[in-house]
Amino acid sequence: MTQEAVTLTIDGKEVTVPKGTLIIRAAEQLGIEIPRFCDHPLLEPAGACRQCYVEVEGQAKLFTSCTATVAPGMAVRTQNSSEVVHEAQVANLEFLLLNHPLDCPICDRGGECPLQDQALAFGPGESRYVEAKRTFEKPIPLSPLVGLDRERCVLCARCTRFCDQISGDRFIELFARGAGERVSIAAGEDFLSPFSGNTIQICPVGALTATPYRFVARPFDLSSVDTVCPHCSAGCNVKLDVRRGKVVRHLARDNLDVNDAWLCDKGRFAFRFPDDERRVTIPLLRDRGLEPTSFGEVMDAIGDWSRGKRVAFLTGGRLADEDAYALSKVARTAFVTNDLDHRREFAGGEAERLAAVAVTDRALSVTYRDVERAKAIVVAGLDAEQEVPILHLRLRKAARRGARIFVLNPRRTRLWDVAEHVLCRPGQEAHVLEQIVDGEGGDSGVGRAADALREAGEAGVVLAGMRLAEHPLAADVALRAARRTGARFSLVPRRAGDKGALAAGVHPRLLPGGRRVDDPGERAEVEAVWGELKNVVPGRNAKQILEAAANREIDVLFLVGVDPLRDFPDARLARHALENVPYKVVQSLELGSLEPFADAFLPAAAFPERDAHFTTWEGRAQRIRPVRGPAGLSRPDWEIFAGLARAMGGSLGFESLEDLQEESVGLLSPRAFSGGASAWVGAGAPQWIDELTLFTYPLLVDEGRLSEGASELKAALEEKPFLEIHPVDADKRSIADGGEVRVRTQAGQAVVPVRVTPDIAEGSVFVPFNQPGLAANTLLSGRFTAGATVEAVAAAEAAADPERLTVGGGP
Amino acid sequence: MDPRRAGGRGVTTDRIITRNWGNPDVFHVDGYVANGGYAGLKKALAMAPEDVIELVKGSGLRGRGGAGFPTGVKWSFVPQDTGKPTYVVCNFDESEPGTFNNRELVDREPHQLLEGLAIAAYAVRCHNAYIYVRGEFLHQGTIVRRAVEEAYDRGFLGKGICGSDFDLDVVPHRGAGAYICGEETGLLNSLEGFRGQPRQRPPFPAVEGLYASPTVINNVETLCNVPHILENGADWFRGFGTAKSPGTKVFSVSGKVERPGNYEVPMGTPFRVLLEEHAGGVLGGKALKAWTPGGSSTPMLTAEHLDVGLDFESLQAAGSLLGTGAAIVLDETDCVVEAARRLLAFYAHESCGKCTPCREGTWWAVRVLSRIEEGLGRPEDLPIMNDLGRNILFRAFCPLADGAVSPITSTLTYFREEYEAHVREGRCPFTGSGPGRRIEEVAS
Amino acid sequence: MAVLSPELRGEAERIKARYPAGRERSAMLPLLYLVQSVEGRVTRDGLREVADVLGLKTAEVEAVASFYSMLRLRPTGAHVVSVCTNLACALRGAKEVYAAAHDAIGSHAEEMTEDGLLTLHEEECLGACDAAPVVQVDFANHDRVTPERMRELIEALRRGEVSEPSAGRAPRDFKEASWILAGLGDGA
Repeated sequence: MTQEAVTLTIDGKEVTVPKGTLIIRAAEQLGIEIPRFCDHPLLEPAGACRQCYVEVEGQAKLFTSCTATVAPGMAVRTQNSSEVVHEAQVANLEFLLLNHPLDCPICDRGGECPLQDQALAFGPGESRYVEAKRTFEKPIPLSPLVGLDRERCVLCARCTRFCDQISGDRFIELFARGAGERVSIAAGEDFLSPFSGNTIQICPVGALTATPYRFVARPFDLSSVDTVCPHCSAGCNVKLDVRRGKVVRHLARDNLDVNDAWLCDKGRFAFRFPDDERRVTIPLLRDRGLEPTSFGEVMDAIGDWSRGKRVAFLTGGRLADEDAYALSKVARTAFVTNDLDHRREFAGGEAERLAAVAVTDRALSVTYRDVERAKAIVVAGLDAEQEVPILHLRLRKAARRGARIFVLNPRRTRLWDVAEHVLCRPGQEAHVLEQIVDGEGGDSGVGRAADALREAGEAGVVLAGMRLAEHPLAADVALRAARRTGARFSLVPRRAGDKGALAAGVHPRLLPGGRRVDDPGERAEVEAVWGELKNVVPGRNAKQILEAAANREIDVLFLVGVDPLRDFPDARLARHALENVPYKVVQSLELGSLEPFADAFLPAAAFPERDAHFTTWEGRAQRIRPVRGPAGLSRPDWEIFAGLARAMGGSLGFESLEDLQEESVGLLSPRAFSGGASAWVGAGAPQWIDELTLFTYPLLVDEGRLSEGASELKAALEEKPFLEIHPVDADKRSIADGGEVRVRTQAGQAVVPVRVTPDIAEGSVFVPFNQPGLAANTLLSGRFTAGATVEAVAAAEAAADPERLTVGGGP
Repeated sequence: MDPRRAGGRGVTTDRIITRNWGNPDVFHVDGYVANGGYAGLKKALAMAPEDVIELVKGSGLRGRGGAGFPTGVKWSFVPQDTGKPTYVVCNFDESEPGTFNNRELVDREPHQLLEGLAIAAYAVRCHNAYIYVRGEFLHQGTIVRRAVEEAYDRGFLGKGICGSDFDLDVVPHRGAGAYICGEETGLLNSLEGFRGQPRQRPPFPAVEGLYASPTVINNVETLCNVPHILENGADWFRGFGTAKSPGTKVFSVSGKVERPGNYEVPMGTPFRVLLEEHAGGVLGGKALKAWTPGGSSTPMLTAEHLDVGLDFESLQAAGSLLGTGAAIVLDETDCVVEAARRLLAFYAHESCGKCTPCREGTWWAVRVLSRIEEGLGRPEDLPIMNDLGRNILFRAFCPLADGAVSPITSTLTYFREEYEAHVREGRCPFTGSGPGRRIEEVAS
Repeated sequence: MAVLSPELRGEAERIKARYPAGRERSAMLPLLYLVQSVEGRVTRDGLREVADVLGLKTAEVEAVASFYSMLRLRPTGAHVVSVCTNLACALRGAKEVYAAAHDAIGSHAEEMTEDGLLTLHEEECLGACDAAPVVQVDFANHDRVTPERMRELIEALRRGEVSEPSAGRAPRDFKEASWILAGLGDGA
């Protein structure tokens, strides 16, 4: 893409930049830092603070370099070469400091504060102001996460502009005018946006502060490391701060290729789990109870249990890439099994294989930049705001740039103001996508989506969430839709380790690089590195593993970073599995509800203790770095797997992380994807049942274990359980909004508060997966369950009901 | 009644838009038409829109709301090929202290405004126009609404105006009390339902204004001139006023004068004429001390400037500005420090708060001026006031701040010894209030 | 608790229809005047209701309402008495008029008398400087007001009488003025 270039001089130095570049950006390219407060490269220019003045030759007035674009031959002088500019900046800082309170000693921003820095560098040394400063009541909680100090605010409006332009969550605004102008929420309507923390980070003073960080540390107290967020597959770049060994903060790092400059509130505030008091850092072996022991002893025991026996591995998508590779290898080479799976959804399909192959292959994958620049985007089976939040922000960015976006989901997402939603019932997605493939749909959302994709051609993007993968054909149809129009396709997994695990072959049918176990040619490529594989029969997926375990067909079940009772969408099945497997090995940070079941516990090192990689949903591998060594006796997962290999009488063949990386790089490098929808069969129109389909997915902030300890985050954003039902279905059942209902399935029942809303597809009902007081997997036999019944419950009856909001699973 | 207020349309006087102020019949549409009204509109409709623009350009009419931008040139900036609708907005947010000419123009002859608005709309091919009426003008808003109704009734607005194929809808829209909404882009934000804070320019309203579409914003007085230019031609209009400031100006005169009121005089008329012949001279025969040429936002002038011509170029040469053409007159008994204080209190109250120099600078200025006026001023305060003037001027996001600087710099320039007397004596020499001694320490 | 009756909700929709499709946010000020006409000021419920009508967050509406001085978010009397004290009126004695009002009403500007009858407001230039000092009662002008006349106006209000303004019709009260400002008519 060619753009007209403009050459100008700044402080006498020449620089050439694309036309339309702001002077302040051009200066940065020369290493010239012009002071500023309201300017931010990712926000529209405001011209509010007036700090960034420059002189332009031939112009009488000073220009604000954050709003003025370059012109050919322009001669700009900054504070470095213009006395007038320097004086103007000093004067402006004098104005800013007029009403600014002398709070530095008690202000969290102290030591990392742009106002402090700029006042020291450019400002007046003493104040001439002898009047009373304007005061405000302070601090004011905007939410349990964000505190506001209005006296410190310089009214740069970065926070309100972020909410308006980036997140669309307009909870905070500027009220009043003049010197009384202030950031505010509407009373009683807290700043409950899952992106609220970004306003704290971009605030150039200590006006917005993080409640979890209030009075916690000074910058010079902190040890820091550049790493990547461990929560979801967005792969946001993070700066992790530790004080006296404990993690105290996550900040966003800039990466315009990944997270821009943003983090979601979960990534920002759910950092306490590695230090949770329930963490176990010593190996345990069951005698009568679980007894502390050594790695040697517990490995020996596991070896005894496993040799010649039927072994299966379940992981939850929390393993780093290297760990996933080691697991894929140790399962096949040491335990001779293909019964391993990283997914929690019970899924399948060619689209998944493509996703495995597509790791690092640009031609087959979608990047954040592709999303940003797309002209048409179809998002299917994915609630990005809840599942991969920074992708949600990128979709909004694409919309701002004019992209047409269509969301196929059973319930409305918070892209509703920028995207057309087609609410389709779970299981119906394949049918809807078929219509898009065939270009049908006429004057409807589906028709418009088809048109948009067709028009966009290669500038189109199709994103399929893992809930789509649950229907065996839906993801394949999405892939076909992309192929038909030339759009790029990506499966978007939810968790940080999902993509890497898929690529590494933590999968019953796929070896590393998406190579099929039962395809001799593809298998041979793996065997060239691993040696001959003795078991070439595709294994069981997660659901099948649990079913086999329940049927006593599994002897040893490894649970690596996953708790089936809480994490799998069928709590009953999970319980039967655990009750009927002779030996259960738990490899994780803590035992949790697995304590009564575990026969052995292997302590894993936590993410701030790891040097490894996580692969984003795009297929981009990013390095995580340790800020401290493994706690207690815990070890990196890959080392534990190497130990298991030795316990089984073999060896994984690598002594160090570098060895592992060297070995894997060949198997995980880009390769051609052979296949596509060759085995595709029409999905057919859905059968309309006059019952309801209950579906679920985890919301962003819930009872997930990685959010343990994030009390402020939960106080702000964790919702109580609810059931969503469409007004048509509600009316048929005399259900009123705001009351309670009893929902009943084959698996169980619960009494839940109900929300009647048109923002959900008719015929489907939604409960969030894991809110406090309702584990939805007690109601489910899969990610969605047909044949649910919902009936209104009178208030008194509800209060007396013992089933009301029961916690699922557990002993 | 003032004999100069006699006469209807067509009578040769040195007045254009106030010539009918003695005739109450022109208030309603039938009387307006009977007096020759809407003839300019009919003439315009028989011309090509581009030719209407050329005509107004040729007349040299300059915006009467303060900026003085040539009206025809402004209309010619509107692109006709964007695919977006064009809008015309009449700025009736008159809030500049001392200014009340828009108000009386609407009080007496509202259809003159509507006719000018319709011609402007036709010239830029606009079919939807808005009249932004200042909120506090409760009565005038009603006048506008009724006049619009009358115009629709008689076919001067709506579908097929005057039998042509030009459609025009006019929607009155009331403000809610904010001086900054008189600033073009602040007005647009207010009209769109946002806080009335000004917008970044470029893009300019002509290209991206109301609803991100090409928009012309014109002052009431500007539009009132347009029908007459259509009727009588560009040369006729240029026969009034000066070469650089053709036409007339309705000056609002207030404060210490015998006859406060609106007086239309040809541009270039010396202030002395306006003050003495029209407004009856300084109240009670006192000596003139200071006067604003164009409302509080223009630097004050003194008795030295009695013979300065009231037009854009002469006032600029004298170190001030024409502004809205509103003379607030102070006499020898008035304290300029108090005047400056009260005006800065106005600017601080009306500051939108968006940018640092205006928000903090006006806040500071009010406090320092208050202390000086109360007799608590210190010698250091005068350099601070000087610096405030220097550091606010041309540094803010919009010209409101520049307006705030005018009272500061002009009173310091011409009446520095009054400031010094306040500080030295520890009290206001005019009211006598204050501790009466020099204060070394000032409590924060 | 709905501020607008179903009938007034209908008016609200008609107000929105004054503006082009997709630009209904322009109805913000008239809608705020509408809720102000019902409750005598813009309450929290009023803000929420306008937000609901326009499909916005309450904060977005409150941001606008709090910007403008004629939209009153704090408790307000049945009548608002505005005394201009800007320069042109000050030169003709406005300070004394304001002081007289202050004494007669007996409360601080911007607050409300205990009986809920009056609020005093110090105003900026009302564009009627030829008739300085200018006072507005519920936005109806009174010209050349002296301290004596100011006291008379307030006494009249206390007697339940609305004095004849210098031009136009006096609104019954602040609520009716808001109704007129919403563009819903010229008053009864």
